[in-house]
Amino acid sequence: MSVMTEIDERVWGTRADGVSALERELARLRRSLGAHAKEHGVPVARASVLNLVVFATREIHARRAAATIDELATRHPSRAIVVVTDRERDGAPPELEMHCHLPIPGGAQQVSYEQILIRARGDADQRLVSAVIPLLLPDLPVFLWWTETPPLDAPYFDELLALADRLIVDSADFARPDRTLARLHAVARAGHGRYGLTDFNWTRITPWRELTSQFFDVPAWRPFLDNIAGIRVGFAVDADGREIHPSQALLFIGWLASRLGWIATGRLAPSEAGGLLFAMRRPDGQDVLVRVRPRFMRGLEEGDLSGLRIQAERLGQHAEFVVKRAEDSSHATTLVAIGGRGIAERNVPLGKPGVSDLLGEELTIARSDAIYEEALAALVALT
Amino acid sequence: VTAAPPLANPLRAGPRIARTPQPCALVIFGGTGDLAARKIVPALYNLALQRLLPAAFAVVGAARATLTDEEFRESLHADLVKYSRTKPINEDVWRSFAENVQYVSTKDGEGYETLRHTLANLDVLAGTNGNRLFYLATPPSAYGPIVDMLKEHHLTENVNARVVIEKPFGHDLSSAVELYEKLQGAFTEDEIFRIDHYLGKETVQNILVLRFANGIFEPIWNRQYVDHVQITVAESLGIEERGAYYEQAGTLRDIVQNHLLQLLALVAMEPPVAFDSKAVRDEKLKVLRAVRPIAEEDVETHVVRGQYGSGFIEGVPVRAYRDEDGVAKDSKTDTFVAVRAFIDNWRWEGTPFYLRTGKRLPKRTTEIAIQFRAAPHQVFSQDAAEGMEPNALVLRIQPDEGISLKFGAKVPVQGIRIRSVNMDFVYGASFMVDAPDAYETLILDALRGDATLFTRQDEVEQQWRFVDPIAKAWALGQGDLPIYPAGTWGPTEADLLIARDGRAWRKP
Repeated sequence: MSVMTEIDERVWGTRADGVSALERELARLRRSLGAHAKEHGVPVARASVLNLVVFATREIHARRAAATIDELATRHPSRAIVVVTDRERDGAPPELEMHCHLPIPGGAQQVSYEQILIRARGDADQRLVSAVIPLLLPDLPVFLWWTETPPLDAPYFDELLALADRLIVDSADFARPDRTLARLHAVARAGHGRYGLTDFNWTRITPWRELTSQFFDVPAWRPFLDNIAGIRVGFAVDADGREIHPSQALLFIGWLASRLGWIATGRLAPSEAGGLLFAMRRPDGQDVLVRVRPRFMRGLEEGDLSGLRIQAERLGQHAEFVVKRAEDSSHATTLVAIGGRGIAERNVPLGKPGVSDLLGEELTIARSDAIYEEALAALVALT
Repeated sequence: VTAAPPLANPLRAGPRIARTPQPCALVIFGGTGDLAARKIVPALYNLALQRLLPAAFAVVGAARATLTDEEFRESLHADLVKYSRTKPINEDVWRSFAENVQYVSTKDGEGYETLRHTLANLDVLAGTNGNRLFYLATPPSAYGPIVDMLKEHHLTENVNARVVIEKPFGHDLSSAVELYEKLQGAFTEDEIFRIDHYLGKETVQNILVLRFANGIFEPIWNRQYVDHVQITVAESLGIEERGAYYEQAGTLRDIVQNHLLQLLALVAMEPPVAFDSKAVRDEKLKVLRAVRPIAEEDVETHVVRGQYGSGFIEGVPVRAYRDEDGVAKDSKTDTFVAVRAFIDNWRWEGTPFYLRTGKRLPKRTTEIAIQFRAAPHQVFSQDAAEGMEPNALVLRIQPDEGISLKFGAKVPVQGIRIRSVNMDFVYGASFMVDAPDAYETLILDALRGDATLFTRQDEVEQQWRFVDPIAKAWALGQGDLPIYPAGTWGPTEADLLIARDGRAWRKP
């Protein structure tokens, strides 16, 4: 028997048997909220802009996800469907249990959003999609947030993916990001743009991409962009250097390579202490030396970028463009040095986005992100 | 020498990376003044917080006072602590921002020479590359002298220079033209950015999105389906400390000439071919030109003015306009204006636009209501349809920005009983993010050189052409100046203005 943990109704709401019972319960909750609001003179608007389907195999992940959605509910009113499956399923009879409630996010009574839990017990994988489909609000985009490494070979993953307009993953949680990213890329291509693929690690490097782009808005510095000779990217590791997660660093390199037309000339080669060293080729045939290095830095999550340095040579002039995370880890210093003379140093906020910030950002983008897919393709060419 | 057109930046692609402006030096005239302290510097700091300022950016404060860079930065910091929309202040970001802030005293020609050297240095050392924006945050009386000095000291020659000015753009048509001629000494129309902060508001831009990104509204957006349009810009505030200015201006010049007519233009304009500065402003101008002028002798029948007396706002007694500081005891200044306007074009022929605005009205609210015609034939019995009203689409600009649609629905009882219900889209409930401050939006656009949300000279002139005859008629003593108690929706004459047409003001 599997461990039949009781569902905490204070967290997940009342149990309902079946989809129509659940819809009735939601309607009842909405009415009572409406009556309550009327007493207090606040109209309840049932605003929904999207469906969010969350998949987890551990209740702790599901709870964390639910807390994240709660935080976002005022920005992205939605119907959230949290699907939790059993990890231990020795012979338990397959069964789906449903719960629902209408949390009042942050006391913002004018917004109502709905949260539904589907708890699968035993081997109920093939039943999941049939429970999700009737619960989706019509005519609104479906975001599928997979909280761990997606089981790319499992039919139920395909079935849920077929409902989605966007698949959200976090490659920071992948056991082997280089392999899984490559396979996800293949899946995304096979989807022929039916859905967009996104990765929180891509969202995490947006500020770094932004700061890098800003250097080359300066007309005097722009020509160096075509003459990059080397680039170093640092990423955080834990104190004993065991957790090596270079996905953000690799995505950053993949992005530069795809924007600037660099091609892979070899495979990723390991260098000292879990780093990588390899060369790419610019469109003019010159080599770009790429060095990715792990670095211990207090206050950073494993894999987060710690700094980057772009070196370029043009007409005998040496230029360096540097973004360095500050000690407090929530700021960065950017610096430009031309011919050895430092100019334009500034301090900019980098922020330390939590999962809710990342998800919130992703939910504003309803289509696929071609720039990401191109960066991913460039990265895949290296593995 | 002007540089060759800059190479495109291939890194700046995709939906995530915000468009940051080109490297630029921003010169704030009136750098020690109120506008700089309350709006401009807080907006710049908040842009820096969002990483929206370019990698090469410098601010030069210019004013008459003699200050060191350090003193100037300190005073800006003190103001920022008071006025920033985000708090507490991120000192790291501020320090880094402040390093690129300088001060130049421009009390004489020598000061302008210093300014020229400062900017030339920045072009090379900071990489601003001849890109400069002059922000005239001074009283309009100083615009002329500043522009003369800029020209005399070659500050706008062979560089990419632009200028931002604030309303009022003149006090009538001829002064607006005069001001324009002054500016033209150093700037072309493309280089002049006139701020109407209303246009920087999210919901005002949303008017264009609602109308032109949706297919279902445009077909009914005309005289055939629309009975009339009401635009209300209501303030519960009085004139605060602006007595002296208000005595000169009055609500007609302060609100009707710019904000109210701009809202009218956005609601009534034809679809532009693109969302760019030329296309949008061409269409706004076109509709402004179609607004039927109100001749001096017709002012009494089409326009109502009023002035607030004493009364109560939110339960608190407030004094009358004539008792405000800096106001004459027998002041004839208007603090309320209601206008019955028509647009003489194919789309709107015969559809009245009722506009009203005032100080010390019961609450602060801005809305545009599109009142549709009633259903052409009454199918339901008189009793059943008693609670029915024609459909209305209301665009609320502030507060609680949003859109609501009123339609009839059956009351759930046996038989038919109809009641009007509102379907509400609360902007804040669907996208509950802090909307950026209008000044942040507008300064960023000006730095980028995007003039879509700024008013063009021909619009300004057209707006004065509409307002001038009204002001003139009043100056000649035409029309009463009824006093309305503070905290009411204006004088009863305004109710009569619309009641004559068999209609009534909404209660926003």
